[in-house]
Amino acid sequence: MSEKSLSLTELNYRVRDAIRDHLPETYWLRAETSDVRPNRNGHCYLEFIEKDPAGQSIVAKARGVIWSGVFQMLSAYFEKETGQPFTSGLNVLVRVSVDFHELYGYSLTVADIDPSFTLGGIARQRQLVLKQLEEEGVLTLNKELTLPEPSNRIAVISSPTAAGYEDFRDQLLKNKPGLVFYTRLFPAVMQGERSEASIIAALEKIFHYRDLFDAVAIIRGGGATSDLSCFDSYGVAVHVAQFPLPVVSGIGHERDITVLDMVAHTRAKTPTAVAEFFINDTWKTFSDLIALQDRVVSASETIAMKEENLLFSLSKEVIHQSMRLLQKETAGMQQIMETMRHALKRHLLQQYHLMENREQFVRMISPGNVLRRGYTLTLKDGKIITSLQDLGVDDIIETRFRDGTSFSRVTGLHSSDNPPEKKQA
Amino acid sequence: MEKLTYNSAKKELEAIVLAIESGEMDVDLLTDKVKRASQLIAFCKEKLTRTEKELQKILDDIV
Repeated sequence: MSEKSLSLTELNYRVRDAIRDHLPETYWLRAETSDVRPNRNGHCYLEFIEKDPAGQSIVAKARGVIWSGVFQMLSAYFEKETGQPFTSGLNVLVRVSVDFHELYGYSLTVADIDPSFTLGGIARQRQLVLKQLEEEGVLTLNKELTLPEPSNRIAVISSPTAAGYEDFRDQLLKNKPGLVFYTRLFPAVMQGERSEASIIAALEKIFHYRDLFDAVAIIRGGGATSDLSCFDSYGVAVHVAQFPLPVVSGIGHERDITVLDMVAHTRAKTPTAVAEFFINDTWKTFSDLIALQDRVVSASETIAMKEENLLFSLSKEVIHQSMRLLQKETAGMQQIMETMRHALKRHLLQQYHLMENREQFVRMISPGNVLRRGYTLTLKDGKIITSLQDLGVDDIIETRFRDGTSFSRVTGLHSSDNPPEKKQA
Repeated sequence: MEKLTYNSAKKELEAIVLAIESGEMDVDLLTDKVKRASQLIAFCKEKLTRTEKELQKILDDIV
């Protein structure tokens, strides 16, 4: 009985020896990292896992370790090549040796890593997510949104303690042209496993208050590069793509473009660049306004000038026309005056001739002429006597001749009805 | 009167500019239109350059 039983140590030694004998080499292993924990001593402990094709459940799992000397080299190399640190959730290709320790059990010791596999994996993963978004018809939805005018009420998704957030606010609120911005922080965890859910929760909250904002900024920056996988996740991407407000990304990743950058309305590299983007956009809004103002001024000046010119030429026309009218009238008047003068002259001449005739006639019938023709005038007391009635016998009468006056005494009076008897001679 | 927003103000402003630029505006109307345009411009400028404390407070008050 005693030969047939083994202590646990003995058994574990046998397992160890069996593994050493049958798996003596190192192997290139494809697996996903999980629970990556560098410790104080610089060693890195982790889990390698494999999921089923649907990515739902874990179908294989092994503990792993990267000894400190190797880890320092490998992690620096990995980060340099992939632009992201060696963390959980990465699909990696690592060269491992298989170990078995009687106390700690089965584990894989990492000796080398091939970053290009991870890069390719990330790229493939991105392509898959993008393809899915495209098939669902949401890939470009956010890009198709028009940035409102102005876009100065900005919902910010960031870690509240990130230097990038402070940079963003500083840049935005102290902008040179003095444009006004309103920001509100919706805090989120920006790296690690909780980040995806945290960013989505922030987006949902902003969605609730969407009427108060013009745009969303998702920023992350400052410090070392870290896990970007949440920005490549389908969950964040599908929320951002369908978000009703334009989303501007600035996750401080120079190296490559994440899925978030692809679906966002605008991609900026850093939080500061996001701030610049909003400043430039609002500045453009402001400039457009100034351009409109200039157009109002110049167009109304043009009208005023045109009217002034019109008035000027109208007044010139008025003067011109009235001058002409005046001249015409003057000429007419002169004509009339001329005509009148002629008429008057003719009339006067006629009158003159008439007068002359009359004068002649008057002269002909004047007493002088009448006397000259043999008529006499009879006067009494200096008054002309025209009737016998005015005379009495013995009156002294004066008889005027052409060439003098005789005085006689009336000796008898006979009316024409009663002629005197013919005196005997 | 409808409450003025940046958008409605800008639309109205653009319409006025086009009307003035068309050269067919009644000169008697011009003064009124230019006056209205300056009001709209002032309104829009203020939106871009003057902080509304009330608005920031509303955003700050989101819980």
